[in-house]
Amino acid sequence: MRDVAGRRLTFHLAGINNQNFLMRDEETGSYWQQISGLAISGPLKGQQLTLVLSDELNFATWKAEEPEGTVLKSVAKYAPEYEAKDWDVRMRRQAAVIQFPEHGMQSRDLVLGIQTLGASRALLYDRVIQEKLVKTYVGTQPVLVVVGPDGQSVRAFSDRIPGVEGVPDFYRMTANQPGAVLMMDAASGSEWNFQGCAVSGSAKGACLERIPMLKDYWFNWRNYNPGTMIWGNRAN
Amino acid sequence: MNNMQRSDRTRWIFVLLACLAVSLVSVAYPMYVIRPFRAQGARELMTALAVFRFGPVLTVLSALAAAAAAIAYWRGRASTWRRMLMAAGAMLVCVLAVLARVNVFEVLLFHPLEHPEFAAVSEAKLDADDKLIAVKIGRSARAYPIREMGYHHVVNDVVGGTALAATY
Repeated sequence: MRDVAGRRLTFHLAGINNQNFLMRDEETGSYWQQISGLAISGPLKGQQLTLVLSDELNFATWKAEEPEGTVLKSVAKYAPEYEAKDWDVRMRRQAAVIQFPEHGMQSRDLVLGIQTLGASRALLYDRVIQEKLVKTYVGTQPVLVVVGPDGQSVRAFSDRIPGVEGVPDFYRMTANQPGAVLMMDAASGSEWNFQGCAVSGSAKGACLERIPMLKDYWFNWRNYNPGTMIWGNRAN
Repeated sequence: MNNMQRSDRTRWIFVLLACLAVSLVSVAYPMYVIRPFRAQGARELMTALAVFRFGPVLTVLSALAAAAAAIAYWRGRASTWRRMLMAAGAMLVCVLAVLARVNVFEVLLFHPLEHPEFAAVSEAKLDADDKLIAVKIGRSARAYPIREMGYHHVVNDVVGGTALAATY
């Protein structure tokens, strides 16, 4: 969100800090770190932007979920210069200026980063895509990471069903159509979709709590989460 | 008397050179530190951002001092080409005062999107496997194609009454 301390801020990209962007707000001239949302210089130094829950999804998946949604239009004069659709994969060839060669991780490995209550975990994206459903913990928070029917979109949920005691024990079903049933749980015998909502069984109508997740390169995630745990690294 | 005038002239030259140095550092140092594909140390980054912040004021003061020095020098008995050189130096300081107000990265490198426009899903010209950043606030759903976000990087938007900055 960009309403801070009673002011609505307008952000511009203004520089780089170890390959993570710096944003400047034109109202106060303060500089903000992109990954953390923290003002690091200027009159608003120390202020924190509130994160808005977001997803990184394929267009087909999003279109099926949000038929009334709106999409940012391309600007004709810039369109020929727009990036390729696999921009994040292509950028993996770029050298990183800071290195964290730990646990067999490469600087440009794509990870899915989750922070909860002071703890953090990075899940290797390629392994998550391979596994399709990952049950892990971030600190004391049980987390369920699920690959969508398109095989590329990923969401994270609390691995507990609201109002249901115990561990739900989710398992993934074969699904390749947007909106398809994606998983079942052993505790309630319910079927769940990619939005984390039960569509049949005793839990029908319940939705799992969403957990914010950031797709990032390892070096950048590790730089801002020095105590991060890892799931799926090559050393495992 | 002649010695006094020469020492005055030397003083104005030093004033101009000092102003030139302050202005050059104000413009070049942040650009040097914050440029892409270079590691930034915490202290040098904070210094660069402070220079970004106070550079416009510093360079205006430098420009005023440089102009005063050039005028004082011009009134002396120096040769014409030396006077012209001082005037050119003062003009350069003035140009740097303007440049200190421009973040080259912000204006030229990152292609800001000043007036974002949006289309209905049915009108979107995207492939099924194009990736998007998607948000939903209340009943309002908005998506930002990564092909565009990888170019513009920041979109200032209001979704469902909530002001947000989508950034990639």
